[in-house]
Amino acid sequence: MKTLSLRNLGKTYFDPYAGAHVTAVHDVSLDVEPGEFISVVGPSGCGKTTILNMIAGFIPYSKGDILLDGKPVHGPGPERGVVFQSFALFPWKTVLDNVGFGPKMRGVPKAERDRIAREYLALAGLSHAAHRYPNELSGGMQQRVGVVRALANNPSVLLMDEPFASVDAQTRMTLQEELTRIWQERKPTVIFITHDVPEAVFLANRVVVLSKGRVLDEIAVDLPRPRVWDNLVKDDDFKQLSARVLQMVRAA
Amino acid sequence: MQVTGSLKGRSSRWIRSVNSLAGAAMFVAPLLALVAIWAIVVPLFNVNPRVFPSVGAVGGAAMESIRDGTLIAHVGASLLRVGLGTLIGIATAVPLGIAMGVSPTVAAFLTPLFRFFSVLAGIAWIPIATLWFGYGFGAIVFVIFNAVFFVVAYNTLLGVRTIPHTLRNAAASLGAGRWALLTEVLLPGALPNIVTGIRTGLGFAWRGLIAAEMIATNVGLGYMLFVARDFYRTEVIVFGMIVIGVLWLLIDRLMLVPLERATIERWGMVRRA
Repeated sequence: MKTLSLRNLGKTYFDPYAGAHVTAVHDVSLDVEPGEFISVVGPSGCGKTTILNMIAGFIPYSKGDILLDGKPVHGPGPERGVVFQSFALFPWKTVLDNVGFGPKMRGVPKAERDRIAREYLALAGLSHAAHRYPNELSGGMQQRVGVVRALANNPSVLLMDEPFASVDAQTRMTLQEELTRIWQERKPTVIFITHDVPEAVFLANRVVVLSKGRVLDEIAVDLPRPRVWDNLVKDDDFKQLSARVLQMVRAA
Repeated sequence: MQVTGSLKGRSSRWIRSVNSLAGAAMFVAPLLALVAIWAIVVPLFNVNPRVFPSVGAVGGAAMESIRDGTLIAHVGASLLRVGLGTLIGIATAVPLGIAMGVSPTVAAFLTPLFRFFSVLAGIAWIPIATLWFGYGFGAIVFVIFNAVFFVVAYNTLLGVRTIPHTLRNAAASLGAGRWALLTEVLLPGALPNIVTGIRTGLGFAWRGLIAAEMIATNVGLGYMLFVARDFYRTEVIVFGMIVIGVLWLLIDRLMLVPLERATIERWGMVRRA
């Protein structure tokens, strides 16, 4: 069974500034297999973040269906974990309590959810930061917390909205490598939104190119794993794939 | 590692206590200068004690009121009224402020009322409060409550509105229901503004208290000032004014500022000046 299916998904909303109805997403269909890592790329305004927000349930959709494990979804829910560009950590909770938040909402007792949170913090190499507050951490560390907070809730699908866009370039490469490592260990289903083409290719099994609210093309990425930048920057397959996707995005 | 850690901790604590001593000295110095001018000017110009008392007379009034227990009685009565009125004010204002922050309809409906009543908050209610509750405890607690209520409710509303929407989305996508959203996100997120509201509200309340006590009671610091006037006891009046000022500074420094430090500064939600 598909983990997630988008069927003729569309979003139209009224723009009070333009004084007219605007269609952000025209007609998008997409099937995501369990354990698949999908990157969605496209120029700004192509509707990629709108699609993610509809899957997350933050905004309603105007037409079509979103099916998760065969059932339609409406509104936010813990089976769809979200990693935000702005991290969205709770400033008043320690790192440990941020990561344990999902289990707490499920009613997991304190000792057990601390154990879960510590396990996931160890996965991201953050065990030492368990009792710190988010504002005491660097941006890269905050987003590591953001990723494992979503994972600790064991979602069917992990939605990532340009999660590494606001960290510096070096940290971003490290985070990308860590994410591929974590994905290989846990095999979560991931939908990763980005406008950074090399990032999209580096991470994914499949890259979906969007243009003006429609799927322009899908490209399979069969590069071997584990993927590390030191190898891939020299890899001809990676370069060719990236160039192909980049061309599509620029023409989009 | 541990030794250097604790040494570092101790030395930074030492630096901080020296800093806070220096800060306290900076704070007290102008007040001492004022007392020094007072001690020189009153005898120099031979000021009539019915106009302004000497430092010695005020000291005498202080000793007298401490010895005969009247100071404790007045301070106790005033603090009890302020404490109770403030607690009732916070307990009612925070839920209302959150309801307004969550629901634009509630906020739109209540905002004009708030604008109107926050102008009136406090001492304008004294006359009608005495009609409702009689002279004494009830009327004064009501005035305090009134002064705190509008400020805290309004600040709570602001606090809820300033919580980034992504935090609510994050909580919802982690499985938080309505109640968890309230206790885990809205309340702690609004806390910096709630604390600011309480600080401002208590400031209003303290002034309102003194005014209300001049009119509506027979014990308390305001009453102490007002009665002394009838007997031309300027030394009691000035002593009472000093007590009122010092008590407020103590409440603010010892209760409200530490509350801010323990929570919102630790979370990095206000920038340290």
